[in-house]
Amino acid sequence: MSEQKKKAYIDIQDVSVFYPVKGGKLFAQGEKPIVKAVNGISLQMEKGEVLGLIGESGCGKSTLGRILVRLEEPTRGDVLIDGVSTHELIRKDPKKFRRMVQIVFQNPFDTFTPRDTIEKIMMRPLKIHNIGKDDQERHKMCVESLEAGGLRPAEDILRRYPHELSGGQLQRISILRSMLLNPTFIIADEPVSMLDVSVRADIINMLLELSREKNASVVFISHDIALTRYISDRIAVMYLGRIVEYGTADQVVKNPQHPYTQALISNCASIDPDEESAAIDIQGEPPTPINPGPGCFFAERCPHATQECLKKYPEYRDLGDGHIAACMHIGK
Amino acid sequence: MKLIKKILRTIKSDRLLLAGCIGICILLFIVVAAPLITEYDAKLFGPDALVAPGDPAHPLGTNHLGQDIWSMLIYGTRTSLMVAVVASFISALLGIIIGGIAGFFGGWADRIISELINVFLMIPTLFLVLLIVAMFGSSILNIMIVIGLTSWPSNAKLMRAQALSLRERTFVKSAQAMGENRRQILMKYIIPNGVFPVVANTTVGMANAILLEASLSFLGLGDPTVISWGQMVYDGKQYLTSAWWIAAFGGVAICLTLLIFYMTGDGLNHVLNPKHGKAGE
Repeated sequence: MSEQKKKAYIDIQDVSVFYPVKGGKLFAQGEKPIVKAVNGISLQMEKGEVLGLIGESGCGKSTLGRILVRLEEPTRGDVLIDGVSTHELIRKDPKKFRRMVQIVFQNPFDTFTPRDTIEKIMMRPLKIHNIGKDDQERHKMCVESLEAGGLRPAEDILRRYPHELSGGQLQRISILRSMLLNPTFIIADEPVSMLDVSVRADIINMLLELSREKNASVVFISHDIALTRYISDRIAVMYLGRIVEYGTADQVVKNPQHPYTQALISNCASIDPDEESAAIDIQGEPPTPINPGPGCFFAERCPHATQECLKKYPEYRDLGDGHIAACMHIGK
Repeated sequence: MKLIKKILRTIKSDRLLLAGCIGICILLFIVVAAPLITEYDAKLFGPDALVAPGDPAHPLGTNHLGQDIWSMLIYGTRTSLMVAVVASFISALLGIIIGGIAGFFGGWADRIISELINVFLMIPTLFLVLLIVAMFGSSILNIMIVIGLTSWPSNAKLMRAQALSLRERTFVKSAQAMGENRRQILMKYIIPNGVFPVVANTTVGMANAILLEASLSFLGLGDPTVISWGQMVYDGKQYLTSAWWIAAFGGVAICLTLLIFYMTGDGLNHVLNPKHGKAGE
């Protein structure tokens, strides 16, 4: 395990984010309620690897994404990129960190300030990071980048305001702008969930092609299992701030071991229409992440839950070939 | 050109705003063309004192010192508008920066500034202005600065609320992820996108500044070296029974100007409201 850690290009070490619950009683006695949005996540990624991160809404996958780009500070834990702690890097050289790690947001209509033209929007990061000699060269870089991304005529697009472009165009620009900084680690936070189905494939292909060109690692956050399986090398399934199952895309989707993953995948219709499988019903709402535990977080909704599950959070079990899952009943 | 057309269309879409804008244009015309539409210098003490309105030489009459009331009204517009613009500019600038800092940075900065705003909102403004004028003298510059320094809290409150909601928007997060520092984000993203309610409020603030200056002058604390409407009302007060016109025309001018600014402010508020079509963009 330790050897593997050293090799990994990106090493997420026990990252957690806790929020104090607002509006608690004044002079409340005892322990303050805490929302554990992200609760002890450790993952390793190779260079050029695409990791799919799936889970239902509110499970903390977007929060994890925001921690990875340091839009939020983790309460605990650290992320190492190529052996360098990002915690230290962002303190010493924040611009270098921003160049290395980039994010593509879910909502392309709100990613750019409505008051600037696309030209200003694309040139600003170049200026801030001193890329290109002068404005002319930067302008040329923007034009080239837009044209390579299929946005023609580039000069016309540069003159427009964000509200004059379509969601697909805006998301392309968002991706291209991130790529201008040559990042080695890209977080895509549901980049196509707000777009028309017709342009989704193009946007995803563009994102993957560009990151492959630069050999960048990608974290792809999504709740679309079929899509995630198609593009990811590995998949991590999140539930209530924790990773419950992790493995290669095929391992997780074809042979899910954790009851939550099983339920999630059995309810996903689009994977294989020929496959006969009954959808597993999950009872109840997801429990709140306010002081969860002590047992398995999924126990209350799990069809296989026993008394044992309510006592202690299960350890990860290795199922071979790096496929791991956090459930007591596996292999029994 | 496209922008100008769009602005004109927006103004036309709201009657209050249209009326207010026409009023402001008239006021601006009066300010610029004052020497052309008056016969006498407003500060000239003429030979005929207390001439009643309707006199061929002085259509609105003269005051006890022989100054032409029409000329005083016209030149008083300059004073009032100058006070309005300078005072509300100071107030808007302070409000935007202080409110933006409070809303965007949050935490301790927000707590301290919010309390400061509350303290300022609690103090009666007129009393504070009186105190400062009494201490530092009543030149028109002092009065403008004092009005600006005491009226920023409402602007700051608006800007703070804007910054609070804007800082959660994706484009701010995106700018942060692009490596922009906090000062750049505040100046380039928060303030330009959140400034419109403050602009609307500032228009109303201009009316209040004019009123405050008039109140000071009426109390005899105005700048005695400039012609102002408040001063006219103050001067005319003692002649109210015998020469009503000295105070009345000044009062009417104050009323009309306030009306114009309130209409513009209300109209702007209405037009900039997100529910009012897409005009707010």
